[in-house]
Amino acid sequence: MGFIKLVVFGFIGLTVIYFSVSLYSRSVRKERLEDTFDEEHPDGGAPGERDAFVTDGMQAYNNSIRPKLIGLVYVVPTVVIAAIVYTINAN
Amino acid sequence: MKRFKTIVRLLALLIAGLFFHYVLPQHDVVRVTSTEIIRTDFSAYNRIFYAQADSGASEQPTRDLRLINTQKQKTFLLGFLPRESEGVMVYRNEDTGWIWPPYFKFDSSDLQAEAANLARGDEWAVVTHYGWRIRWASIYPNAVGVRTVPGPDVRIIPWFNIFFFIFLMAAVLFIRAMWRQFRERSVDPLLDAAGEQYDEVQAGVAERKGRLSRWLGTWRAKDKR
Repeated sequence: MGFIKLVVFGFIGLTVIYFSVSLYSRSVRKERLEDTFDEEHPDGGAPGERDAFVTDGMQAYNNSIRPKLIGLVYVVPTVVIAAIVYTINAN
Repeated sequence: MKRFKTIVRLLALLIAGLFFHYVLPQHDVVRVTSTEIIRTDFSAYNRIFYAQADSGASEQPTRDLRLINTQKQKTFLLGFLPRESEGVMVYRNEDTGWIWPPYFKFDSSDLQAEAANLARGDEWAVVTHYGWRIRWASIYPNAVGVRTVPGPDVRIIPWFNIFFFIFLMAAVLFIRAMWRQFRERSVDPLLDAAGEQYDEVQAGVAERKGRLSRWLGTWRAKDKR
């Protein structure tokens, strides 16, 4: 019973963490793209150019490996728990 | 107000400190003298200091409890400074199960057997445990592991706690960064927009009021000169 509770609530908790981290990572990336554009185009650039630059950058981010690495949020605690179970109970 | 804030902060720090002192593993240098099983009747206030009933078993107000009796090397400063005296220490030996505290200990029978084996000789051993010994409430620390050491003057490095606090610090900094990013990118623009709208509404109200009072003014008596 305890194991099921751990799995269910652990999954819920890790999902909350997963979504917060991926939102954070996306937001940081977007801010950096906006800053880069503003640095390169001090006059503001052509209309719509800034949005296109940011959209392209976000597309590149989505296709890169970084957002997939956030999946480690699920893997690492599972591995840590398995390691603790083993070290505590091994003879 | 400032003093109140400081007091609340200190209190929160104290509670967090006590919490971690209770839950994180500590190491004692001991000689196991005997093991025993006693029947315990839990009361409302010491119940939370004991583990749940074994999984599959039903929760009763009374059950058997494994104890490990030891002669312990006393220490100063959370076990960092050894002292030249000894005292008795009694540990309980219970499964923590899957939930809390997250030690995932299921081998209390094996641990009891190890302790019984150690009790036959006069060897020094390190007991890893968490929890407190509170005598007036019959509360014991829970032993989670035991290993033999050559002598009483071993140096124990609490690796787990070191990594735990590093991780905790990193997590706190990360959450702070996340919160700041969230405020900067999501809350502040909203607040700015709301503030502007509020200003506009205020300006509108002021204008209307101005009109109203001007109209009222036409009814007031003019300066009689």
